[in-house]
Amino acid sequence: MSESIVIENLTKYYNNFLALKELSLTVPANENVGLLGPNGAGKSTTLKILCGLLRASSGTAYIDGIDVSAKPEQALAKIGAIVETPEFYPFLTPEETLGYLGRLRGMDGDRLKQRIKEVIKQVRLEDWSRVKIEKFSRGMKQRLGLAQTLLHDPPVLILDEPGLGLDPRGVVEFRAIIEKAGKEKTIFFASHQLTEVSQICNQVAIIDHGRLLAYDSITALKKKYKSLERAYLELTEAPID
Amino acid sequence: MTEFERLRVVIGYEFLKHIRRKRLYIILALTLIAELAVLILVPVLGDGFPNNVMVMAALLSIGPSLATIGAIFFAGDAIAGEFENKTGYILFTNPVRRTTLVIGKYIACYAAVALLIILGYVIVVISLLAIYGSVPIETGGSFGLCLLYAGAVLSVTFFFSAVMKGSMSATVITLVFIMVISGIIDSVLMMTGQPHWFMLSTNGDTIATVYGGYEAFMGGMGGMGDMPFEFESPSIGLSVLSMAIYLALGFLLSLWITKRRQLT
Repeated sequence: MSESIVIENLTKYYNNFLALKELSLTVPANENVGLLGPNGAGKSTTLKILCGLLRASSGTAYIDGIDVSAKPEQALAKIGAIVETPEFYPFLTPEETLGYLGRLRGMDGDRLKQRIKEVIKQVRLEDWSRVKIEKFSRGMKQRLGLAQTLLHDPPVLILDEPGLGLDPRGVVEFRAIIEKAGKEKTIFFASHQLTEVSQICNQVAIIDHGRLLAYDSITALKKKYKSLERAYLELTEAPID
Repeated sequence: MTEFERLRVVIGYEFLKHIRRKRLYIILALTLIAELAVLILVPVLGDGFPNNVMVMAALLSIGPSLATIGAIFFAGDAIAGEFENKTGYILFTNPVRRTTLVIGKYIACYAAVALLIILGYVIVVISLLAIYGSVPIETGGSFGLCLLYAGAVLSVTFFFSAVMKGSMSATVITLVFIMVISGIIDSVLMMTGQPHWFMLSTNGDTIATVYGGYEAFMGGMGGMGDMPFEFESPSIGLSVLSMAIYLALGFLLSLWITKRRQLT
């Protein structure tokens, strides 16, 4: 089985603060892997390095075998990502925003127009597709964020708390979209919501203080700790050497 | 898809941004007000329009010069805004080089400023034709210097936008740097008889002094009076060199810094 994401000995310092310490993990192709950990565990830092937004202090991250720091454009062509709460240019509409991002990814003409319609429908923004984003709520921006990850049909989705700011119906709809996408794509998904992660992912990596504490199937973790919640609580409570 | 095609896409959407923002229209209005003020106040407060067309042309160059300062308001948030407003989390995860994004933003900003400058000079030309029936050939030089000055101001603004965390601080610092710090140092150097061709504010003066230097300009307005020091008009050639250096250095530094900057 090929590997979509490979993280090797990733270490990241913010000045003197150690955010990631020699983190290594591999996400096989077409697997849905959840990245769990308390606030400040290093989840967002890991995803930002994978998306080329941060440089690792040491170590390497690969997307589909491409070194993200050495060939960022080639690596980024393989992913669709939501990192933190997505923000867009307020003076553009969703259609224009997706048009811009689609064109940057080499899409154009009828194919792009058709695809924009599809993803806007998928995230239920049809009524807002020609309204300037300056009028959008956080949840609507989150929907647009998901639309732009799916637009170019990438093989890998990197999602950082994609359900944040959504109303209950939005959370359910989001989960359904991601679950469906996960059947044919690799998903690396950071979240605090254990229920959400267990519904979408078959494996989870639990990190804290920038270190990998566990990386196993949800079934195996449930078997060992009785529940995913207990696994999370016990592992993240462990003293750090 | 080539990087050049991506650059065209970036320029298109960035230019759309400027067209949709109020600041373009505010600076346009200020440019028109400045030109109108010169056209109304000079004959009202003076003894009619100056006899010398060059003096009036120099006075009217205030409009395009003001438009040039608009570059600061267009470019202050060009880079800093992507980090401050977190739009970079979406934009920078696309397979496009950051250098392409910065170049695209720069060209779009420059196009917006150039549009205002062109409009300013159209008013200058129409006014001079209406009042004097002729336009001095130096107007072309003034126009070229104004375009170059806009490029230099834009590059300095891009540099501060790449360095600063916030758009507002980038805009304010650039304004202070160009309008206050550069102006003060420029005045001190001028009063002490030292060379000052390398100061951006001096370079900006050439947009008007190309019509005949400070003496001709002030003479046409009734003389310079008793000044404690001599005004030395800036050398056009050295000013062009200086502006080209500001333009290249500021732009290259902003490219280098943006490429290295991380989204924490």
